[in-house]
Amino acid sequence: MVQQKIREKARELLTKKAVDLIIGFGEGTLPLRATPLFIRSPEEVDRLIWNSFCENNLATYLHKLSQFKVGLVVKGCDSRSIIALSLEKRFKPDQLFLIGVPCQRMVDRRRVKKAVKGEILRAHEQGDQIMVEGEDFKTALKRDDFLYPSCRMCTHRTPIQANVLIGDPVEESPLIETHPEVKDFEKKSPEERWKYFEKESSRCIQCYACREACPMCYCVECFVDSYNPKWIEKGLSPSDLEFYHIVRAYHQTGRCSGCGACERACPMEIRLTYLTQKLNRDAKELFGFEAGIDADAPPPLSTYEIEDRQEFIK
Amino acid sequence: MKLKLDKKDFENFFQSLMDEYDLYAPVQLAEGVSVFKKIDHPGEVNLTQLHPQKPAKDVFFPQSEVMFRYEKVGKQNQMHSTEEVKRERILFGARPCDIEAISIIEKVFVGEEYTDIYFLEKRKKTTIIGLGCNHPLSTCFCSSAGGDPFLRAGSDLFFIDLGEAYFVELLTEKGMAFRKNKFFKEADPKDLTLVKELEEKAFEKVGFSIPVDGIEKRLDLMGESSFWDRVHEKCIGCRICTYLCPTCHCFDMVDEASNDKGKRVRNWDSCLSPLYSLETSGHNPRPTTRERTRQRLMHKFNYFPKIFDRVACVGCGRCILYCPVHFDIREAINRTSPKRLKRFVGERL
Amino acid sequence: MVVKKASIETTDRMLRTLELSFLNEEDAKAFHFIPGQFCELSIFGKGEAPFGIASSPTENGSLKFTINKAGVVTTALHHIEEGTEVGIRGPLGNGYPIDLFKGKNVLVIGGGFAFTTLRSLIAYLLHPENRSKVNEITVIYGARMPGLLLYKEELTQWEKRSDLKLMVTVDWGDKDWKGKVGLVPNVLEEVAPSSENTYAVICGPPIMIKFTFPKLMALRFPDERIYTSLERRMKCGIGKCGRCNIGHLYVCKNGPVFNYAQLKKLPKDY
Repeated sequence: MVQQKIREKARELLTKKAVDLIIGFGEGTLPLRATPLFIRSPEEVDRLIWNSFCENNLATYLHKLSQFKVGLVVKGCDSRSIIALSLEKRFKPDQLFLIGVPCQRMVDRRRVKKAVKGEILRAHEQGDQIMVEGEDFKTALKRDDFLYPSCRMCTHRTPIQANVLIGDPVEESPLIETHPEVKDFEKKSPEERWKYFEKESSRCIQCYACREACPMCYCVECFVDSYNPKWIEKGLSPSDLEFYHIVRAYHQTGRCSGCGACERACPMEIRLTYLTQKLNRDAKELFGFEAGIDADAPPPLSTYEIEDRQEFIK
Repeated sequence: MKLKLDKKDFENFFQSLMDEYDLYAPVQLAEGVSVFKKIDHPGEVNLTQLHPQKPAKDVFFPQSEVMFRYEKVGKQNQMHSTEEVKRERILFGARPCDIEAISIIEKVFVGEEYTDIYFLEKRKKTTIIGLGCNHPLSTCFCSSAGGDPFLRAGSDLFFIDLGEAYFVELLTEKGMAFRKNKFFKEADPKDLTLVKELEEKAFEKVGFSIPVDGIEKRLDLMGESSFWDRVHEKCIGCRICTYLCPTCHCFDMVDEASNDKGKRVRNWDSCLSPLYSLETSGHNPRPTTRERTRQRLMHKFNYFPKIFDRVACVGCGRCILYCPVHFDIREAINRTSPKRLKRFVGERL
Repeated sequence: MVVKKASIETTDRMLRTLELSFLNEEDAKAFHFIPGQFCELSIFGKGEAPFGIASSPTENGSLKFTINKAGVVTTALHHIEEGTEVGIRGPLGNGYPIDLFKGKNVLVIGGGFAFTTLRSLIAYLLHPENRSKVNEITVIYGARMPGLLLYKEELTQWEKRSDLKLMVTVDWGDKDWKGKVGLVPNVLEEVAPSSENTYAVICGPPIMIKFTFPKLMALRFPDERIYTSLERRMKCGIGKCGRCNIGHLYVCKNGPVFNYAQLKKLPKDY
């Protein structure tokens, strides 16, 4: 069982003191939730779990742990974030020990909640189903109907360059070709696209949870907090919110692994991955680059190749 | 006074009030996402969620508020203050936790020496219609935090959903002004029985399991404890908890200027932001999430009670529901329980 | 208020003293403050920031503030000309406990540009109306270099007085400097004022305070008689915005002046 093997590996690493701490997932207090877990001694390893609710990208913690040797439980997308970060020289080569877990695709807990009437009090996975129970209901839901869109289109569920792989690599066939929203979006006219984007970003409360959850957002002073020059105000002005979302998406071009942490963090359920996935597609089409696959490939927006398109240079 | 309002009269009742009042109520922005907003039509009211993401504090202490406008004329400045509230307002659909939270914020904002006139103006000109919680969530712990699912305190009128109608109580002078409202009928004895049943059921569900009682004294002993070294680790500093918390009231003041005109704006701020106490010299008294998480928990459960005799938490559970890394404040409180306290205090003594 | 006079204090041009006068007679009459309090000065369009009042309540009519150029608001305050309007909110904070100083000796220790509110305190105590209320006044003031000393004119005046013991010191002298050279904590050790019936007021950069406290301990100053003025990032200045708290106390409302006994009980959020 994957969970058991993760615990064994963690126990081994902590007993040998090969790492200072291990970051994995632990049981949540609410149904359908797991929580990031930090453990430092072999006695704690039995708190580690693995299930379809391990949705966080743990790479985001590495920025504040640069002086430690960290063992990290990573899914495919998380390992890609780590490769993208190591390309940006965010950590020393031997600082990490990656416990790679081929991902079974994560479940969208919000969609599960909306599929039933009433509060879900207990939930557990059973084979390819999710059993949910409330005060006056009990249903079985088909797991595959409730996956995150970014998980459905994932092409790298097996972690890349992990120090150890728990279990066998999984078949890399996405359930859908393109992100469903990107597909819809591309059919829309510019006015329709703007209307959609405007509506989504109008809910934004400028909490910046999307930025904090993202492992690639690690600037000490983010452009939104800059005072000199001041790019945006903090007063919930619609144009400022739109500016923030567009610029943040652009800052992710060629760096985003498509993990969806931004969207999963947003308390106002704003769709965000369609922006980053579209830019990722563009990066692939224009520069043949996919973030976090090849640790030696130079980032497309910081390098220049002779073959790069030039027709826009007038 | 025990009255009731049939649900079929709901829209007409509020429509009739909108000539005189601005109506604020929960509005759905997307499935599963609501906020308190000024509505144009009673049909916009949406009560599918127990409480909206954004708490009722938004109605009295908006996320972004202009404090005054100014215009530069030569070397002088002309100022125009903006605290005036022109129309009376009604807040409908706020739960007892959110309403109790307004009185918590009021303790800070309305003081002996200085008063926040922006908050006070809005507070004075608002009639609050509270709504009881027939079905508290499993994340609710209002009873442990000094409230309860049917707490009337702070409401001018109190509604309880009976199914086909709302049970209506008129509680204060502002509430009594509605006693002759043509849409209100006398409540029947069986309505009163149903209310009692709903209250009992809700109380039982929420329970008293979280050891909030006495937490101020326990935290006194834990100021420098190693408890804080681990509790903050998974926090990513995203600030959702403070923005959605009904009692959090920290704010920032900035000037927004355009040539010779401008305004001073007050925006919500969060003690979890690294910039919150960052000084211009670069020194930061709270440099890591360890200090900032400690500040948040200590402020809610130790510093605030020291001044105001009440914890600054109403047990609404939003921080638990919406935290991206599933930080559960109930777990943190439990870890300060008398039983487990010895483990942390022992090392300090 | 309006800028009556502006002058640069230090050779590095980072410190500028503004003398502000009230626009209205009634405001001037209604403004009562004690040394140690501060005001929030506003430049519309840039923002607002807290500054300790450098002038004494005995210097009627105008208020002096010494501004260190560090951020947006302070840079704007460095560039405004005489005659410009400046917004002000105050007086805020608790001020020095001058009532406690009655009949006692006062030891004032200042470092760098934290000397601003100490100037207010000293000028207040030296005023004919107040001088007899306290006994001995000892002042030790240090800066890194002679050019960085504030209020050089006042210091020269004060050095001539017999009712005040003033020691000005610098960390590094220059060819024109005839005065003392030495770090403030060392000078304190040298002077070794008696702690009996004496209150110590100390204001300076964290590093200076860190090394001066042990010296005060060695001289047997009790915690309750050591006062300091803390600084924190502030916005509202009246204990509402939540920003400047240390434990359950707010630096803007319950402070900025605290004694060491109080600080020992609070978390180290400063």
